[in-house]
Amino acid sequence: MAVNKEELKQKILEYATKKAKHKSKMYIKDLYKADPSAKPREIKNAANELVREGKLEFFSSGSTVMYGVPGYGKGVEEAFEEGEE
Amino acid sequence: MADVKKHDTPMLEELKKGPFPSFVDDIEAKGLKGKQECLDLLGQLELSYKHKETHWKHGGIVGVFGYGGGVIGRYSDVPDMFPSIAHFHTLRVNQPASKFYTTAFLRKLCDLWDNRGSGMTNFHGSTGDMVLLGTKTDQLEPTFYDLTHQMGADLGGSGSNLRTPSCCVGKARCEWSCLDTQAICYHLTQEYQDELHRPAFPYKFKFKISGCPNDCVAAIARCDCSIIGTWRDRIRIDQKAVRAYIHGELKPNAGAHADRNWGKFDIQKEVIDLCPAQCMWLEGETLHIDDSECVRCMHCINVMPEALRPGVDTGATILVGAKAPILEGAQLSTLVIPFMKMEPPYDEFKDFVDKVWEWWMEEGKNRERLGELIQRKSLQEFLRVTELKPIPQMVKEPRSNPYVFWSADEVPGGWDRDIKEFRKRHAA
Ligand code: HEM
Ligand code: HEM
Ligand code: SF4
Ligand code: SF4
Repeated sequence: MAVNKEELKQKILEYATKKAKHKSKMYIKDLYKADPSAKPREIKNAANELVREGKLEFFSSGSTVMYGVPGYGKGVEEAFEEGEE
Repeated sequence: MADVKKHDTPMLEELKKGPFPSFVDDIEAKGLKGKQECLDLLGQLELSYKHKETHWKHGGIVGVFGYGGGVIGRYSDVPDMFPSIAHFHTLRVNQPASKFYTTAFLRKLCDLWDNRGSGMTNFHGSTGDMVLLGTKTDQLEPTFYDLTHQMGADLGGSGSNLRTPSCCVGKARCEWSCLDTQAICYHLTQEYQDELHRPAFPYKFKFKISGCPNDCVAAIARCDCSIIGTWRDRIRIDQKAVRAYIHGELKPNAGAHADRNWGKFDIQKEVIDLCPAQCMWLEGETLHIDDSECVRCMHCINVMPEALRPGVDTGATILVGAKAPILEGAQLSTLVIPFMKMEPPYDEFKDFVDKVWEWWMEEGKNRERLGELIQRKSLQEFLRVTELKPIPQMVKEPRSNPYVFWSADEVPGGWDRDIKEFRKRHAA
């Protein structure tokens, strides 16, 4: 809760970059693990700021949105195994 | 004729032969007027028919700056054959509440889309948005700029966001509306801008608002949180109009079935006997309703709109958890709040939504809708987190969803019993 937003952003970015080496697209829920003490909404707000700063990027199938780290990952198909409506 | 190339599409030609106008005609006509995208789209569709496989790749890093929704990236996987649709992204544009437009707005939107995209639209997508079909990545930002700066419009929701809220025509056109559906829809759209544009959730979340239980937006079947107008006082009865129906001076269902002779209107057979609550009866030619038994099904009101009207103490019934999923069957929403006043600024409702979202964001699995989470965790758990009291209306079938249990802290002494004390009174 009490974490400072910049610190939280830093944690998320470190976590996402580490993870991106194995799996380039992650769900918002994966990012919760960057700081288990933070509330989902705080993580969401911090992650969205990182997107605005260009440090994370969105990846959308139309039905689901995932986060990626610019520069990681290959094609667009690998991240989505399921169909959508 | 414009300089465009039509592909050979024998299978699509077959579709033109049916009795109804075919989408192939429309798309082709648009293409021949100068939109190569439309002709390439048909060419690729023909190829898909041949291969029995789609040639669209879906997903990608497309969107306008800062938004994580509203643009659905689509790419052709055969761009060499159909270069004009190598990118063919869809934009969802937030429709105005109840979908009222001026012709000027629509013309302007069409001009914009002729200029920046394929010129093809879908009015409206099932979520409610105006759907602009097919443009290139470098046109996304300019289109967004034009939409926001020239049209006063915004993108709608897609992905793991709040989806564009939608509502029925409500009080603007319908005398049955118990809610100002447009006001609620607009308010929720403005209030939850961040959730609408920036992905926050395990999966999509939809609000739909119907003014009365006729539920013209099918909220009960199609959204995670349905807001459906209702009343808690009595159905208003105009006995003079009741008699006019009985004597055939007024046509039942406002004449909707009058093009065929169904025989003389029989209030007993067509209204009273069909009341699901069996709470209506006639004394002479005076109609009585036991409103305490009425389930607000709207049947009697629909049949005799001049005689019967919803009450005046109006509000909303809140239901949650509908979905039309891919893997399991469709699920209708479950009633959780039988009546809520729904007056601006809707704080009571928004407090409820906050609790629901907090729980779902914390506990929901990736791609798990609220209704699925409730199924997995139990409605009892849902009631606990939303601080709602269990009520009989929530129980659909006592034997199959007996989810209202006591928890240990609600019982004096909890679950621990002194077995020796017990056995003093009861032989084993
Ligand atoms: C202190 C007195 C009673 C106790 C502790 C008692 C307890 C129970 C219990 C534990 C069940 C099973 C519920 C379930 O898990 O489905 C049950 C079912 C039932 N009891 Fe009793 N009962 C009592 C008196 C009565 C009386 C006096 C009647 C009828 C005159 C009655 C009629 C029934 C019926 C019809 C069921 C089946 C209901 C259903 O499952 O839908 N019970 N009772
Ligand atoms: C020809 C006579 C009857 C037939 C064919 C019949 C049949 C049934 C059937 C098929 C069920 C559903 C069982 C289940 O799905 O769990 C049922 C439940 C029940 N019956 Fe009967 N029944 C008869 C007479 C009676 C009578 C005379 C009584 C009481 C005086 C009675 C009391 C009940 C009760 C309390 C239940 C449980 C209801 C519930 O679970 O919701 N039945 N009966
Ligand atoms: S849902 Fe009810 S209020 Fe809304 S348009 Fe339909 S009948 Fe009218
Ligand atoms: S609204 Fe439906 S339940 Fe209520 S009195 Fe009319 S027919 Fe009966």
